Amino acid sequence: MIIDINAFLGHYPFRRLPHNSARTMIELMDAHGIDSAVVSSLHSVFYRDAHRGNEDLFLETKDFGSRFVRVATVNPKYVSWRRDLDEAMDRWKMKAVTLFPAHHGYLLSDVECQQAIEEIVRRDIPLVLTQRLEDRRQRHHWDAAEDLEFKSVLELVRQHTKLRLALVNWIGLDGKRMAEAGLQGRCLIDFARLHVLLNKDVDKLISSLGITSIAFGTHMPFDYVGPSLVKLANLESNPAIDYPAVSWRNAARFFGLEGGD
Amino acid sequence: MRKIDVHNHVFDAVDQPGANWARVESMIEAAEWLGIETLCCSRPITGGAMAEIAEVRRANDAVLATMQRYPDRVRGFCFIQPGNGRLAIDEMQRCFDQGMIGVKLYNQFKYADPMVYPIAEKCIELRIPLLGHSAHLTDARSIAAQPMTSDSLEFCKLATRFPELILILGHINGGGDWEWAIKGLRECENVYLDTSGSVLENDTIEMCVRELGVKRILFATDQTMEGCVGKILSAQLSSEQREDIFWKNAHAIFARRTS
Repeated sequence: MIIDINAFLGHYPFRRLPHNSARTMIELMDAHGIDSAVVSSLHSVFYRDAHRGNEDLFLETKDFGSRFVRVATVNPKYVSWRRDLDEAMDRWKMKAVTLFPAHHGYLLSDVECQQAIEEIVRRDIPLVLTQRLEDRRQRHHWDAAEDLEFKSVLELVRQHTKLRLALVNWIGLDGKRMAEAGLQGRCLIDFARLHVLLNKDVDKLISSLGITSIAFGTHMPFDYVGPSLVKLANLESNPAIDYPAVSWRNAARFFGLEGGD
Repeated sequence: MRKIDVHNHVFDAVDQPGANWARVESMIEAAEWLGIETLCCSRPITGGAMAEIAEVRRANDAVLATMQRYPDRVRGFCFIQPGNGRLAIDEMQRCFDQGMIGVKLYNQFKYADPMVYPIAEKCIELRIPLLGHSAHLTDARSIAAQPMTSDSLEFCKLATRFPELILILGHINGGGDWEWAIKGLRECENVYLDTSGSVLENDTIEMCVRELGVKRILFATDQTMEGCVGKILSAQLSSEQREDIFWKNAHAIFARRTS
């Protein structure tokens, strides 16, 4: 079984994406043995009202059962985000929240963002932070979003000691500093952009944060799924690695899915 | 399936006594696991530097040392700076005589610059490919950091002037607008491209095949080893197309050298 914790649905304004509808993404997942995907709405990133993107995500995925695990996007600078969050979690059964500070025009340290994170902690749901959607070296001139920085994440987790954090599509993570900041046992990291063979990025994170910190992720539909499947196959060939934990169980536990107890 | 990686690197001065081979060993280990039978390696001088020829020779000596240590796995591409003039041509001959099978240019000069012409002429004489660093950069910081990087139109200008040259546009996914880069090569049928780079974006490989034809596409990793194998494996290709990209096209290019 494989759960992908790094996926998006919808249109992206700067490039045509294949497999970006629920139906076509399921075809892609079926072709590659991926059972479920934790998905956020790309529309939420670019609409003024991010919650309308949450609604798009719900409507797009509601007929596909457990194949999609929905993540609500909150823009804490936008009016009435608390009520929108209620609807996303209570009515649409979304399992986590994601923030896009660079796209929505705020910092993780801003007071409105801090209030949103306090609400996320109060609800005991995971926060998903994507380092970047695409490489800045190819950016459209309307795309001004900078990558999220590791130091701002460390600051965040020191301030919110009960925050559970999924870091997707990241590189440059320092496992030792994350452990020192108290993230062991409350973070989940995907390896879409990490090296498994060269540099041993994943081995290093496991040695600092434990096997429960690692999960499969692809960054589909932006990226090919093959790279992460090759990395997963390499981890499977390593007898020291708990393969089911990495391929699905850590994700199921972190997002409160069936079988994750 | 066989795999020839036409774009990889040696980063350390492994020709020196007591050298640390760890990064080379890690690359060899990764190639073994991924089934990459040949790694074409170079050691370019980066950071905008225009180095003296002695430093260029030292860079190539590290590649030669790696070829000697792993003769069945590593083939050399000779790093050259056109600005070294006649000495650069001599260095190409030295590398070739010691078994290197291609030339690597970095971003010291735009490729349409006449300074590059003697390098192109020597490559034609030796029947070896010229692999060039490339990108169509769109953000100001990257452009400022690499103002002399060539995009696909620069490659086309060189290829048009030298139709016999075997020119390879390096790392289509090495950062930069890859859709622009591919479309820019439509009219230049003697330019190949390699599939390497840290960007693993969906549809790159399919677009390369659609726009340029499968015979112009060469598998490479540029150190993104599992990622670049994975994207060829999951791209929507026939098994024949996958085989062409993974090794047959490169094999045909290298066969010209001895034919």
